[in-house]
Amino acid sequence: MLFNSFEFLLFFPLVCIVYYIIPIKLRWAFLLLSSYYFYMNWQPIYAVLIFTSTLVTYLCALKIDATQIKRRKKTYLTLSLFINLSILFLFKYYNFFNSSIFGLLNDLGIRMSLPNFDLLLPVGISFYTFQAVGYTIDVYRGDIKSEKHFGIYALFVSFFPQLVAGPIERAVNLLPQFKETKIFNYEQASDGIRLMIWGFFMKIVVADRLAIYVNSVYGVPEYHSSITLLIGTVFFAFQIYCDFAGYSNIAIGCAKILGFDLMTNFKRPYFAQSCAEFWSRWHISLSTWFKDYLYIPLGGNRVGAVKNYRNLLITFLVSGLWHGANWTYVIWGGLNGFYQIIFKILDVSPKSRKIGVPFKFNYLVNLTITFVLICFSWIFFRANSLYDAITIIERIITVSGSLFIGDKSSFAYSIFAISLLLIKDAVDEFYPDKKMFFTSEYRSVRYLSYTFIISTILLLGVFDGGQFIYFQF
Amino acid sequence: MKKFVIHGILGLLLVFFFDLGIGRVLEYYYFKQESGFQHRTTISMDETNADILVFGSSRANHHYNPDVFINSLNKTFYNTGRDGNFIFYQTAVLKSILRRYKPKLILYDFSGKFSYVQEDYDRLSSLLPYYRKHREIRDIVNLRSSFEPLKNLSSIYPYNSTLANIVIGNSNLGKKGKKGYVSLMGEWNEPLNEHKSIDKYEVDENKLAIFNEFLDLCKRNDIPLLVFVSPVFYTYDKDYSITLCKQICNEKNIPFYDFTKDERFLKSPQLFDDKEHLNDSGAKLYSKITLNIIRQQLNMSNLINEEF
Repeated sequence: MLFNSFEFLLFFPLVCIVYYIIPIKLRWAFLLLSSYYFYMNWQPIYAVLIFTSTLVTYLCALKIDATQIKRRKKTYLTLSLFINLSILFLFKYYNFFNSSIFGLLNDLGIRMSLPNFDLLLPVGISFYTFQAVGYTIDVYRGDIKSEKHFGIYALFVSFFPQLVAGPIERAVNLLPQFKETKIFNYEQASDGIRLMIWGFFMKIVVADRLAIYVNSVYGVPEYHSSITLLIGTVFFAFQIYCDFAGYSNIAIGCAKILGFDLMTNFKRPYFAQSCAEFWSRWHISLSTWFKDYLYIPLGGNRVGAVKNYRNLLITFLVSGLWHGANWTYVIWGGLNGFYQIIFKILDVSPKSRKIGVPFKFNYLVNLTITFVLICFSWIFFRANSLYDAITIIERIITVSGSLFIGDKSSFAYSIFAISLLLIKDAVDEFYPDKKMFFTSEYRSVRYLSYTFIISTILLLGVFDGGQFIYFQF
Repeated sequence: MKKFVIHGILGLLLVFFFDLGIGRVLEYYYFKQESGFQHRTTISMDETNADILVFGSSRANHHYNPDVFINSLNKTFYNTGRDGNFIFYQTAVLKSILRRYKPKLILYDFSGKFSYVQEDYDRLSSLLPYYRKHREIRDIVNLRSSFEPLKNLSSIYPYNSTLANIVIGNSNLGKKGKKGYVSLMGEWNEPLNEHKSIDKYEVDENKLAIFNEFLDLCKRNDIPLLVFVSPVFYTYDKDYSITLCKQICNEKNIPFYDFTKDERFLKSPQLFDDKEHLNDSGAKLYSKITLNIIRQQLNMSNLINEEF
């Protein structure tokens, strides 16, 4: 089920009503049932994969906790990682590695092949696998105790608001919340609705609108001029931000209405002054996951400079591969790792500006440089192939020509949508304490702000936009 | 919880009144347009009573020049073709027209595919402004999703993404068209190339049923119907869509004419605006050719004396 589908608009209020009506002791079971229904609405058979991942990590964590022998703990951890990552590999990476490795061997004259699998990628497999694997590692490290209640643990892995596209939650944050008695909280529910409305705006009005232009430009880059490809890339930067941050806002909002707090996933990333700061504002739940479970175990920055650069590069390359089984993602990850290294070597990473402090000229320069670098990496992320990415870069540098507008009205709506988004983000960034629009102290202003956004969604939203980009990861 | 419910109801009421108010304003200005493709759809659905009607997508809209037909046949003419809209749209428009009157001749320009294309369903949004007043098109529009009746409770929703075109249509900046026909003035100068063959594919049953419905509606109402596939500026070996269309027409005894391999056009890039659309000169030539076919067909069926 998609958040931006009509089915969800019926499903979610119904879940909320039933959730608060039924006895507290039944709530976890109801949420678990709802979560599986939510997932099975898409491809019922793939619920088996979530269940398998849940069962394996649950049992391994119990075993890890039950033994005091380090070697045994490690065996169970390895077993859990092996099974989970094997499922992920089979469904997401097998064909990619198969064609890449045997393609290379063929080029070297060695004729070998294995058949490709014609498998549909299970929605959100990377998200719930990472969440479940993260839990096992936490238990192994002794950061948390294993969860004894299988139902509660199954709910932790499959909690529907964040099941298919995160935020990738940590057991230490989310698991205890399922055991708390949730009493309806007006403030929390209002915050939730506010986040959901803004999330829908980001997805339906901004992301899906920009996608129309981006798809037509990136679909045939060889026909487009430099200016068109540049605009297409900038539009994609906002599309991917609004698609993903929009989903996160809806997810966090849903959870809040049900009384749960999920971690913040985006903090206005395009206001970052450096690539390092960008990654502290973008997909925070994944960035911190990689930091805690890969970068730091590799040695993090508590090693020599060269090893530190190696650790950064490995982390970003794996992050790229996490996003998709394609060389374009790997290069995108590598490029972002490279940015971090270069900035570290040159020691030019500006310190994060304190939120709320008025910006200066330097800030604008840093912001622009960061935005340009990030946009450059998005070319690889969005291009349909490596060949297309190179074509786009070549044409941006060499091919002048007029701007392709496409559908004029759609282009105008795109500009309007980005403007509205930037106004809201700029107010939140520079004047966090000013109570305006959604947060105004006047109820009438708040209500009119909501109504304006809902009317804009109905008037300018793209209702045939389809899936969230991050579902494929 | 009580406070939340009360505020929720207040919020919903505010949204309801905003939706109603904005929706009414949009409705008023949508139907007040005097130019543009939305205006032409309104004429097709609600106003035209022309003797000869052309149905199809952009290829129909830009290929059938009304002057040729009006001057030669001395009959009224309207071109209902609309860019990017295929069989679903065309059948819905025909159903609306048949609610008002029976045209004397229909020329159907076939394009598109019988395979499943989500975009073809999405494009049914062109008909949303007519959903409330035209019950006869609801079955087709509901193919978008089973929630369409609920979505259309909103007054803004039918006018989603139409704002800019409503402004253009009311400021007379939109293309007016001549009896629905919009001429293209460009000239194609790329060489002729070959397109990939389209082999047999899985057919979308909805499309097939709606296409059959179009043909059957004409038959049931005794409206002479000629099906054309107008010229293109590329070569190809096979196209299953055209093959299937021809097969269905043959089964129903409906005259079918395919001009996609007509040498007169394949040798004349200057008659095209792009490889799938004729320019105004090409449209004039092509309209004259179809006019001759119409004359022959109508003579054969003696309709020229009776109805024409």
